[in-house]
Amino acid sequence: MMTSSLINSFTSSIATLAPDAAGHAAHAEPGAIAAGPNWVLLIPFLPFAAFTLNALYAAFGVKSKLPAWTTVATLAGSFLATLAMFMNFDGTPYTVQAFEWFNLHYGDKSFVANFSFYIDTLTIYWMLFVTGLATLIALYASEYMSHDVGQGYNRFFAAFALFVVSMACLVMGDNLLMLYLGWEGVGLCSYLLIGYFYKKPSAVAAAKKAFIVNRIGDLGLALGVYLTFVHFGTVQYAELFSNETLQSYIAAASHGDFGSIPGEAQWIALLLMIGAFGKSAQFPLYVWLPDAMEGPTPVSALIHAATMVTAGIYLIARMYPVFIVSENALPIVAWIGTITAFLAATIGMAQFDIKRIMAYSTVSQLGYMFAGLGFLTPTGGAYHVLTHAFFKALLFLCCGAVMHGFAGQLDLRKLSGLWKVPGWRIVSIGMLIGCINLAGVPFTAGYFSKDTILAEAFVTPGYAFLGWVLLLTAGMTAYYTFRVFFRVFVGPVEYHPGDELHDHDHDHGHGEEHHHDAGQHGDHHANHFHPHAPGWAINTVLIILTGCSILATGLYFVGGDKDAHTKHYADTMVSESSASYHSHYGTHAFEYYEKDPEHYPEPGHGPRGSIDKALSMPITGGDPHKMMYYISGVIGFVGILLAALLHGPKGLGGLFLGARTNASECKMDAIAKRFGPIPRWAENKWYVDELYHAIFVKPLRIISHVFHWVDKLLVDGIVNVFGFLPRVFAWIIRPSQSGVLQGYAVSMAGGLAIILFVVLVIVARAGGAS
Amino acid sequence: MTEKLAILWPEIFLFIGTCLVMLTGQWPSRAIRQFTPWICATALLLAFFAAMTSPPTQGMFPAIVPYAKMIIATVGIMILMLLSGTVDRQLETDVDNGKPFQSIRSNRGEFYAFFMFSLTGLMLTASADDLIWLFLALELTSLPTYIMVAVSREEDSALEASVKYFFLGALGAAIFLYGFALIYGATGSTNLNEIATVFANDGISSIGMIGMLIAVIGVSFKIAAVPMHFYTPDVYQGAASPVSAMLAFVPKTAGFLALMFLLGTVGWKGGHLPIELEATLWIMAALTMTVGNILALLQSSVKRILAYSSIAHSGYMLVGIIAGPGAKGGAFYQNGLAAVLFYLFTYGVMTVGTFAVLASLEHRNGREADHIDDIRGICKSHPVLGWTFVITVLSTLGFPPLLGFIGKLGLFSSGISAGHYALIVVLGINSAIAACYYLRLVAVAYIDDSEKSGDPVYATPFFMRPLAGLVSAGGVILFMIMSGPIVDGALNAATYNAPEQIDHDHDDHHAHDESHDDEVALLDD
Repeated sequence: MMTSSLINSFTSSIATLAPDAAGHAAHAEPGAIAAGPNWVLLIPFLPFAAFTLNALYAAFGVKSKLPAWTTVATLAGSFLATLAMFMNFDGTPYTVQAFEWFNLHYGDKSFVANFSFYIDTLTIYWMLFVTGLATLIALYASEYMSHDVGQGYNRFFAAFALFVVSMACLVMGDNLLMLYLGWEGVGLCSYLLIGYFYKKPSAVAAAKKAFIVNRIGDLGLALGVYLTFVHFGTVQYAELFSNETLQSYIAAASHGDFGSIPGEAQWIALLLMIGAFGKSAQFPLYVWLPDAMEGPTPVSALIHAATMVTAGIYLIARMYPVFIVSENALPIVAWIGTITAFLAATIGMAQFDIKRIMAYSTVSQLGYMFAGLGFLTPTGGAYHVLTHAFFKALLFLCCGAVMHGFAGQLDLRKLSGLWKVPGWRIVSIGMLIGCINLAGVPFTAGYFSKDTILAEAFVTPGYAFLGWVLLLTAGMTAYYTFRVFFRVFVGPVEYHPGDELHDHDHDHGHGEEHHHDAGQHGDHHANHFHPHAPGWAINTVLIILTGCSILATGLYFVGGDKDAHTKHYADTMVSESSASYHSHYGTHAFEYYEKDPEHYPEPGHGPRGSIDKALSMPITGGDPHKMMYYISGVIGFVGILLAALLHGPKGLGGLFLGARTNASECKMDAIAKRFGPIPRWAENKWYVDELYHAIFVKPLRIISHVFHWVDKLLVDGIVNVFGFLPRVFAWIIRPSQSGVLQGYAVSMAGGLAIILFVVLVIVARAGGAS
Repeated sequence: MTEKLAILWPEIFLFIGTCLVMLTGQWPSRAIRQFTPWICATALLLAFFAAMTSPPTQGMFPAIVPYAKMIIATVGIMILMLLSGTVDRQLETDVDNGKPFQSIRSNRGEFYAFFMFSLTGLMLTASADDLIWLFLALELTSLPTYIMVAVSREEDSALEASVKYFFLGALGAAIFLYGFALIYGATGSTNLNEIATVFANDGISSIGMIGMLIAVIGVSFKIAAVPMHFYTPDVYQGAASPVSAMLAFVPKTAGFLALMFLLGTVGWKGGHLPIELEATLWIMAALTMTVGNILALLQSSVKRILAYSSIAHSGYMLVGIIAGPGAKGGAFYQNGLAAVLFYLFTYGVMTVGTFAVLASLEHRNGREADHIDDIRGICKSHPVLGWTFVITVLSTLGFPPLLGFIGKLGLFSSGISAGHYALIVVLGINSAIAACYYLRLVAVAYIDDSEKSGDPVYATPFFMRPLAGLVSAGGVILFMIMSGPIVDGALNAATYNAPEQIDHDHDDHHAHDESHDDEVALLDD
């Protein structure tokens, strides 16, 4: 609260300095919409209070779980407020202003970006799972981070709460500047949390990598926001979407007339898209996300799987009216999404670190979401965001529980049969539910949401190839997902502890009497290691999330609105917001078609045939989604059976297909050998990091060395001369400060005389003459 | 007379306070002696509230009184906090050890009385509308400070500084009094408004112009501008840090107010002073900031650095004086006088904080912190003082978004809107040079953690001094956030009514047509 009012007052005081800034009362502008209830502000400000308190705890050196409970309580409050916002929403978007931020008027132009929140169905849709998951994951983290109670714990929860604040700004802000603020805020928190174990070089490197790669995207976003303002004269959503220029572009785009839309307007979407690719880890900017798993697992689950990485999808969905007026933006989104989905899946298939597999899976699933946006189904994209948020968070938290309990062990070759280890049943069930969702087993939430995207790929003309690639990827997804399950959770019981031995393994006892120092851990643990089964907090969260992942299926059948022709909850929430494809776009196309069928453009015009897409239902005469139910269901099962065959243990655990008898060996090993070096390449992520290193980092380093020397020899030389000059002067005039009274008096009188002489004789003469 | 009284209430409160502290400072009872500063504080607070309600005055600067006196009272209270414990430290220790109180040895009464006298003089300067009054007020501001320098430290260097300051001050006063005399000779009046009317109607005679030039250069002694700046480093270094802080604010404010009043009589016609004055001030401004900044580069004494920084800041503020009030009803960024009035307050707040840090540290033998090594790494050893130092020094540098930045922005923008581009370039270059030594101070205080060589420093036992620093650093942050009202106040205070010019042609042709004259006056309005 304080920081915000601080910024406010500061900017308003700067505004006082600016010409004609203050004093213009806010007059009714086009696109001005109703103000909503002020309690909506609780959603961002409750987590902010938690952040402030946690920072204070850190300042006072609190050494208890207080920060966790503060965070969980405020986030729960925030979630309840979001829920209330959902319940009270009557279908009309509204804004709630916290305080005035930028309100500059100059000439007949203005730049207005207040600290306001824009509430429509898309906002509510996003905030519900963001605050809900944040609450649950904070509860999980209260136990997961318990080995760090003290300064680390305070720091963790302060950043955690700040993340939710930033995410709220990003999603709820009523203008692009708020979005940018939140965007940078989540980036900062992501950086802080990835580098949480700041004494670990790999974590620090990962944090830096995430931050730097995101810079590239953020540059695109910043330029996009700037261009939006330059072109449309506003950055506020309500004004932007009702902007007459934009409406005329949409009308033009709906009959394929992209030539009449200025290139400047089309570039906006391309620039915003770069920002979205950075934040949501799309090719070629995806490389930071797998490394981001260096952060504590709750962070991976919340920030790097469920919420922050979906910011790019939110950005595109929110700015959909701007994207559909760009001829190339959405097709690029579709292609990049598909490429990312496929590429990440191939890498995921060859990894051995289960958290890394999940990370690549996240990249791959984000690719699906982008592809959905590109296939003109923002509903499909957003629906997959929601289901993915639940099951991927669940999967990560299960992996985290494993990591927590087995001293950092994440290698699937060193763990087996957790189902049978006492205390691990809940984790195993959670993992199974998560896996069947991710694999797209029929009648799971993940199955329905992925099918929406896949079906649209075949409905939207021009994307059938991408559809086949995504179908193949779906099979690969099922394979790598169940590869983890079959190897780690079923089969013979076998486990080896990892090398991160937490002190609390001893604090909690586990029957171990002896106390030894850190140096001896490794030797003893091989023999005496007892896995540390998750406690109540972790189990509770896992149970709730398992429930949510199952119940999310139900969302496919409820919440439809017959009047608006929406099929289910996600469809309703997305279609009634700015992300609505039909109301903005389809209507125009239909009108155009009805008015003038003769001049209806050839298929392939429009955003790669989007007009046909708007008319596809009447043309094909059937529901393509139904076909996809069967195809993708079969492909999912093929992937699972393949995983069972190659990685499954003997017996029921391997669906009677597998033959694995210990943790480290399976049928796949022999097959992998026959593929030659390809699995190794995949395991090494197709050497993309090395490629970037060679293409970008190395040349930059060489250039930086060159400039270093140029700087040192030439620029520094010049600067040093200039820096040296004042000192030379100083040496020259220093004797004037002799400290002798008479000298000073004479100097004063002399100075007076000189100035009078100069002014009266020279300046006044010259002035008089001119 | 009563209307004059109405604006003099702050001075009256201060004077009453002054009389009281002369008594209580010598009181045998220790509790009453120690109550002395609180009387000063009360008087300053009363003066603040009295200033708040001051009615507007007639003349060139109708609204300057409330703003000027309010900032004087505000910064005055901060300096008062800093002054605690400057005098009678040994005496009070002796009293603690059972010796009887000897009023002859006590300086407390005089010290606080002189402080109050000086502030009274400063406020009287703000109320001045007459050359005689202005001279007396300026001298009332300065004379007590000569003695305060002498008694602030029991060392020879303080006496030396005091003597230098006194003699050079007397020389400066003689110079500007000579200028005043010439102005009186040229115009036949000592009243500033009448002088302005004469200048406006009859033009500025050579005698009048020479008088103005000499007066302006003489008054620049108060603001420590070239060529009257020589005393500054010696005096600042000789005096105790709290008194140096006072010297940085009180005479400077008096000098700038006097400059505004003097220059107001000739006016900024079309945004420019008469060429001779503008050239003089231009040369002075450029030289002052350059000399101040480059000499600061070589110093190893923090107080000398701050003294040169004080000189440089006078140069910066002269830019605002040259730029003048701009168009009537203009914004803050166009009004150089408003920028100066705002910057005076800004500078007062920041400088008190920087000197407070020095005043809060001393060596084991009682010698106060001065050398740059004394503040080495104080962010670690004395975090509160260290951060106060970092914040106030960065603000003095004009580091955005701190308070000093907003002040400097006003000076820059007013100079640009008045069209003095060359001077702005000089100002820019000087700001860059200044960054060298300010950042050196910050770096030494914040980053440097090398082993201290020599004599370590310890916190003084006076609680009020670090508190003054905290108030100052807090003020830098607070007023940065809430600069709006102060900016508005400065803008309002800088309202300048150019003297009315009676059109002689009309007078000659329509000598008896009074109604027509009224019409002309209306048009002029």
